[in-house]
Amino acid sequence: MMNLTKQIREQAKKLLEEKKVDLVIGFGQGTELARTTPVFIDSPEGVSALTWGPFCANNLAKYLVDYKNAPGNVAIVVKGCDSRSVIRLLDDNQISRDKIVVIGVPCAGQLEWQKVADEVKPDATLKETVDNGDSFVVKTSTGDHTFNKKDYMLHRCLVCENPNPVIADFTIGEELPVKNYAERFAEVEELEQLGLEEKSAYWDKQFSRCLRCYACRNVCSVCTCELCVFDQMKPMWVSKRTNLSENTVFHITRAFHVAGRCVDCGECDRVCPMDIPIRKLNQKIHKDLKDLFDSPTPGSKEGLLSALGEFSLGDPEEFM
Amino acid sequence: MKAKIVNKGQLSGLLDKLAKDYDLVAPVKEETITLFKKISSAQDAFLDYTNSDVSPKGCFLPQSEKIFSYTYTGDSLEIVKPESAKKTVLFGARPCDIKAITTLDPVFEGEKFGDEFYSSKRENTVIIGLSCSKVLSTCFCYAFGGGPCDGTGSDLLFTEIGDKYYVEINTDKGQALVDANSQFFSSESTDQLAKDKEELAKKLAGEFVKKVDLTGVKELLDSDFELAYWDEDPYKKCIGCGTCTYVCPTCHCFDIFDFTTGDITGDRIRCWDSCMYPEYTLMAGGHNPRPTRKERIRNRFMHKLKYHLDRYNMVGCVGCGRCIRKCPVNIDITKIINDLKEVAQNA
Amino acid sequence: MLKRLLEYVGFEPGRLTARWISASEGAKFASTMDEVTDKIKSLGPNTKMRDEIL
Repeated sequence: MMNLTKQIREQAKKLLEEKKVDLVIGFGQGTELARTTPVFIDSPEGVSALTWGPFCANNLAKYLVDYKNAPGNVAIVVKGCDSRSVIRLLDDNQISRDKIVVIGVPCAGQLEWQKVADEVKPDATLKETVDNGDSFVVKTSTGDHTFNKKDYMLHRCLVCENPNPVIADFTIGEELPVKNYAERFAEVEELEQLGLEEKSAYWDKQFSRCLRCYACRNVCSVCTCELCVFDQMKPMWVSKRTNLSENTVFHITRAFHVAGRCVDCGECDRVCPMDIPIRKLNQKIHKDLKDLFDSPTPGSKEGLLSALGEFSLGDPEEFM
Repeated sequence: MKAKIVNKGQLSGLLDKLAKDYDLVAPVKEETITLFKKISSAQDAFLDYTNSDVSPKGCFLPQSEKIFSYTYTGDSLEIVKPESAKKTVLFGARPCDIKAITTLDPVFEGEKFGDEFYSSKRENTVIIGLSCSKVLSTCFCYAFGGGPCDGTGSDLLFTEIGDKYYVEINTDKGQALVDANSQFFSSESTDQLAKDKEELAKKLAGEFVKKVDLTGVKELLDSDFELAYWDEDPYKKCIGCGTCTYVCPTCHCFDIFDFTTGDITGDRIRCWDSCMYPEYTLMAGGHNPRPTRKERIRNRFMHKLKYHLDRYNMVGCVGCGRCIRKCPVNIDITKIINDLKEVAQNA
Repeated sequence: MLKRLLEYVGFEPGRLTARWISASEGAKFASTMDEVTDKIKSLGPNTKMRDEIL
């Protein structure tokens, strides 16, 4: 992974030196061994802050919206899932293509940082990470640890649709194979099998923990409304109260508002401080999109028409 | 200061009795999350945790709280206030969270204006703290004068040592609870346990990973509101989600609004709000003194490191580390403190 | 899509009905309303997402 880090830094440096971009948005070492943090590099000397590895879970595409009207161009480091967000943002006209330079990095998976942190000495520093196919080796100042992907990777990575970015001006590293994508709706199907009461009880339990912090909404790369419906005071569609009813309204409404544009990056699920499995809601919609409209995942190809924004004569008509 | 012992085997008996006589709030585990909830029996309590995901400040400042309900009766307005707080025991709060509650006291129980909703809960709650037995990599309570075995603010402090709990009685309220439940508290000599607790505190003090040095930070913040530091990194990566404010045990901002299902009756509700939201400072005329994330990030850290100290002579942060763990983009207050210290030194 | 999502979260099938009816299809509107009313009455009071007064 050090090799990839070097290449990303070199590419970023080149872009900044040649003034092709004014800013590079990428991943930098975080304040915990197993975390990274978004970094915003605006000078060639600053590229040494960039890093790459299995702790780069963030989807940085949302930041592009901040630079929509900035004077210069922006380069962004994206993984496979993030690149779908980039396409989606371009399709939504949230930023124009000539303003961005996409540095795509095929991603071998991202680890859950808390699970890694539990096993590594708290004061250890990160030396290197190596991708071993089925596992990652994390080399630290207090020893090497092997984390097998099946148990330590983010759930969304286990059923990754495209480890290779679907849009990139520069690609860093080798292309990676797709694995297990066919099982991507396994969790949704499991829930669908439950009886009505059980489904209701399951979701009630999850939603009653919701703090309404809106982390899921803010991190979502397709939630770009300038005035979000949940912030509106007049009319007050949902109040600020946290109770099961309002929390349920919030989650269902948000899932439906992004339906057809959600790229299934899984960030909403990762950022929730109360571990609510938000992605299971969005995945249900993806499954229905596939079943009803044979629609591929939004953002998975350039030029896709939005499933819910277009119609064709062959669409199901259950409502007639 | 008096002390007693509770043998581990006795704890569930004590908790069961407290659950009968009071509303007993204790840590519970729901899937992967630990939070504070009312429990009806000792077996619901989950004590094998480092710290909860949400702080127990909800006992005194609930996320959503009805202040009163109102009804128009033709020509007048009838207001019904909620019942005053029930007698409650908060069991198992960590020293950092209890210290945080003491920092909320001057806000809600000020000299000129008191908040009866907060006060009635505060008066009617006995706080039984539980010393830490482990330090997380994100903990830094020492930096703000706290510690893993610090009893400040607790009525009783339990410290687990071997198969016993060493119980320090810090207030009259705590003493009253012990007297009323004396069958669970042993009066054996506590000298050895007191020594063991000192050892434990020393051991834990050596386990902190985050090195936080506040030297010069407050003076720097006092001297320059327009520090160039705020133009840089922290605000750019912030996504403005509000998670940090909601998990923080010292954050206390709230919003008040009326909820009605018609115009005749309704409730006035107070609930948590976050200064990280753009609408927080949005004024009726459209002006927003904190228009971008830069101003809001600066405000948050100035509040924690300066404003709270200025106003109440108490720290605004207790070093619990939840914001570091939960922030989606790894914004770390300890890094910001250390960065500011460097800026202060280089000035 | 919304129907499916609601059922996934635990609403009974039939709570939400979507029907495409033109303004000039009065009879269809009336019969649909009767159908929906009967359906939801048979389901009983809705227990999810109720407006709660705290």
